[in-house]
This record gives sequence, structure tokens and C-alpha cells, in this order.
Amino acid sequence: MKNAPLSHVTATLLLPAFLVVTLGLAVLGAFQTRAQISETFARQTQIQQAQIALEELLRLQIDEENSLRGYSLTHDPFYVSEYRMAANEYDTTEDSIRQTVREQNLAGAQQMLANYTRFQQEWRTNVAAPLLSHPNEQLDALDKRNKLYSDYETRTVAAIREALASTNELLQHSTQMQLDRTSYVRAFWLLAFGLLAIFLNAYRSRLYRELEQERTTTEILQRVFRSESTPLPHCEVGSAYLSASSHLAVGGDVFDVYRLSDHLALILIADISGKGVDAAVLTAFIKFMIRAIALRLRDPSAILAEFNIAFSKAVGNPYLFVSMFVGILDTDTFRLEYASAGHDSAYLRRSEVVRQLAVTGPLLGVMEEPYGTEALELRRDDMLVLATDGLTEARDRGGRQLNDEGAMALIAQSGPHAQELADQLIAKVRKLGGNRLRDDLAILAVRVVDGTATDA
Amino acid sequence: MRRVAAALLLVVLAIPAAAGADCKVHRGEAVVLYSTTDDPSVFLWDSRLRLRDYNAASFDEAQALLPHAVLVAPGTHASVVSCVPKFVVSPMFSEPDDAVGVLIVSGPQHGLTRWVLGSDVRQFH
Repeated sequence: MKNAPLSHVTATLLLPAFLVVTLGLAVLGAFQTRAQISETFARQTQIQQAQIALEELLRLQIDEENSLRGYSLTHDPFYVSEYRMAANEYDTTEDSIRQTVREQNLAGAQQMLANYTRFQQEWRTNVAAPLLSHPNEQLDALDKRNKLYSDYETRTVAAIREALASTNELLQHSTQMQLDRTSYVRAFWLLAFGLLAIFLNAYRSRLYRELEQERTTTEILQRVFRSESTPLPHCEVGSAYLSASSHLAVGGDVFDVYRLSDHLALILIADISGKGVDAAVLTAFIKFMIRAIALRLRDPSAILAEFNIAFSKAVGNPYLFVSMFVGILDTDTFRLEYASAGHDSAYLRRSEVVRQLAVTGPLLGVMEEPYGTEALELRRDDMLVLATDGLTEARDRGGRQLNDEGAMALIAQSGPHAQELADQLIAKVRKLGGNRLRDDLAILAVRVVDGTATDA
Repeated sequence: MRRVAAALLLVVLAIPAAAGADCKVHRGEAVVLYSTTDDPSVFLWDSRLRLRDYNAASFDEAQALLPHAVLVAPGTHASVVSCVPKFVVSPMFSEPDDAVGVLIVSGPQHGLTRWVLGSDVRQFH
């Protein structure tokens, strides 16, 4: 399999990672802005409460003065109690404003409030107290002084009011700016995420199309190069093939049954380490190369040895190797001679017993080692079952691998006919993995049916 | 002698009236004195400079000026004898106010001629 191009890595890993990071930053920014706006709103609320309290303070100051005027005109003690009530309430309200002004750190307003308090206290001492104790004395002078205090208190309140309004306006402006900035940032992120999502989706679609195209090409090639079930005298031949679920895993399985002469047949199954179109093309090379060699050499080990040399020279890729089982079956005597280049998914089912056929040499394309040939005398109803590693490496939904034992158990439980067995094995493996197959799976089964063979 | 002084004062008060084109009130108009709703009584000043100083001064300075002021009840009737536009400037005012010379025509201060703040003078219709 080829290495993934950088653009593919970028699109599949870096861009989503970038998306996640930027999304995280956007969320953090949103929380930070929310905290800032909340704080500003809280300050605004406090300022507005102070503004209301200030108006209340002015009203109480006027209440005090009016109560005092009422007393000086009527000498009715009712006005004295009114005066005292207004004075108490005035002090409480003034305290709350002072606290707000201090918390909001409004230095100018603090000074003005201090002046205001001073005026009010002096007014109480210099105007209110003399009038309450001697309501008929010095009225003109006290009136003038009262007017003086009143003027200055009114002006001071106006100044405090302006300071609070100005602060409130600043806070409003700040809030508005924060909201504006949040809107712009949000719009930017939305746009960025949208564009990235569109880009990723487009890239994904393109990638999917390319993979689908490759898969289709590969499957077409495999269909072309895989043998149909060639009829053999006195034998049943069955085969089945199942493509991997992943687009990238389709490729390099090949099997073949080919009549070399009236009574000799070549039986081949091989699994190439690569995947994809390249591997599928190699299957054609293997199939016809083995046929050509087998027409000259009838010894399976010699066939593998010659193919090994040709394969290494032709392919020239040290990372590519092939597992292969080659058998020459004499359909008159039912003698099977075979050689296995690291292909251990080869089994013989006799009666209810399944045994694995021994590997006789290393994988092809790895080293130039001699291969051995084994021979089997097949009997009636014996079934030669050849598979690719998609069988033994099949996994159930829990991830447990089938292995040789599991494969042999499935073979033992399958139907008596070659095609039936091939189809059932495919169905069982598909069911085992929940219709998800990690690798291709090819099954080739040959069963002896003629009566001339020795009965078990 | 008192008549001469009064006549001289009237002349002095009348001089700025020529420049009173921008004033809200004009010479000869009948007006009522009324300050703010919160404290409607009105200060009358013996000099327009003191009127200006009172509004621009600190509290303590203003307190020192009080002997030069007379307090009249709200609703006191007067007649405009002079006006200096935008003469009174105070940090507390959003814009300068007029200094208006008035002759009190009602109440205990009847016959008194003094200066008042333009915003304390209401036209009487």
C-alpha cells in the first residue's frame, strides 16, 4: 500500500485538529466575554441604583427643609417629627450612595458627596438647630443661610448626578463595544468553521470517490482474473470471494483451477501482501505465470521455486511477498502433490475430520529457499479446502480472531458439497464479523466425487 | 441727595441695557421672581459682580458674600430695568446666564433695585 500523501494527512488530521482547537478557543472567548459583560451589567445596575438613591436623597433634603419651614410658620411639633424622620432616612440613603461610589471607585463623585454631606450637616447645625430651638429669632438671616445651603446642595447633587450618568454612559458604551466585538468574532468563527467544514466535506467526498473508483477497478480486475469454477473430471469445484469492508483492504487474493492435461489439473490459491489496484494487477501476473510454469514443470515445489525467482526479478519490491499453495491433482488416481509457500490456510476434510496441510517452504519474494513437495492420496468425499488469510484472521465483534482452530471447526460444520461449503464459509465469516470484513477472503474447495477413488 | 443717587444708579443700570439684545427679558418688562421648584425663594444682589461671584464661588466664599444679598419670597413682582446677557458664568451651569437688574414692585422689599439671576426671572403675562 502506498504512503498517504501529505495533503491527505493534512485534510484528515491537521484540519480537524485545527477545527477542534479553534472551536475550543472560540468557546473560551465566549465565556470570557460573557463574564466581562456580566460584570459591566452588574456595575451599570449598581450605578443606576445609586442614581435612583441620589434623587431620593434630594427629595429627603427638600423634605427636611419643608418640614423646617412648616415648623417655623406654624410652630406645630408635627413638623419637627417629620423633619427628624426625613433626616434619619436621609442619613441611611446617603450611606448607601457613599458605598456605591466607593465600590465603583468614582473619585470625583466621592469628593462631591463628601461636600454634600458637609453642607447638609452644617445646614442642620447652622440653620435647622437654631430654628428648632428659637423659631422666632433671626428668621431673615437663617432664611438667607438656608437658601445658600440649598443652592450649594442642589448644585452638588447635580454634579454627582452628572458623574454617575457619565459613568453609566461609559459602561453602556463599553457593553455595546463588547457586544459588537462578540458579534464580529462570532460571525468570523461561524464563517471560518463553515468554510472549513465545506472544504473538509468536499475533500472527503473527493477522497471517497477516488477510493470507490479504485475499489471498483480492483473488483473488476479481480473478477476478470479469478477463475470461474473450471469443471474437473470426477471432482466438484466450488469457489467464493468476499471483498473487505474497507476500500483500502481490497486486493491481492487469487485462486485458479486449470486443466494442464486430460488428467492433470493445477490448483492454486495465493495471497499478495499488498492491496489495491497494484495487488489486483499482480494477481493476473501470478495466475498466468503459474499456469505457464506448470505447463512445463509438474512438480509443485519446482513451480514455486521458478516462480519465486521470476517474481523477485519482475516485481523488484523487497516489501512485497506472496503466500501460495500450488497443487497438481491427478484426476485419474486422485493423487494430489502440493507445495505451500507459507500458505497455511490449506485444509483437508476427510469424513468429519479436518486437518491442516503443512507449509513446505517460505513466503515467495522473501528468499530463495528450496520448497518441498507433499503428496496426498485423496479418497471419495475428501474435500480440499483452500482459503486466504481472510479466513483465519477474521474477527468476531469482540475482536477475537478465528485462527486455524476456528477455521477448521467452521469447515467441519459446513455442507458436503464444494460450492455449498465455500458459500457457507463466506456466510459464517460475514456473520461472525457483523458484515464487516477486515481483509478479502477467497475460498476454493475441491471435492472428490468419483467412485473410482478409494472409499474411506 | 438720595434722589440723585437713585437716579445715578438707574443710569448705571440702564447702560448695559443697550447690549441686552440677547437677554431673555428686556427693560420695562413686568416679571415675577421665582427660583427652582425645590427652593423657589430668590437672592437679590447689590452688585452684578457679586451675583456672578456668588454663583462661581466656593461655599465658604459664597457664605462671605451673604450680607450683600436680600432674600425675597417667590412670586415677588418686579420690573426689569437692565440686563447683561450671559454675564454669570458658573461651573454648575451648562451655559452662562443673564444678570438682570430689577425694581421690586411688591412685598416688603418694594422699591428696592437689585440684581438677580436671569433664570430666577419669569416673564409675567
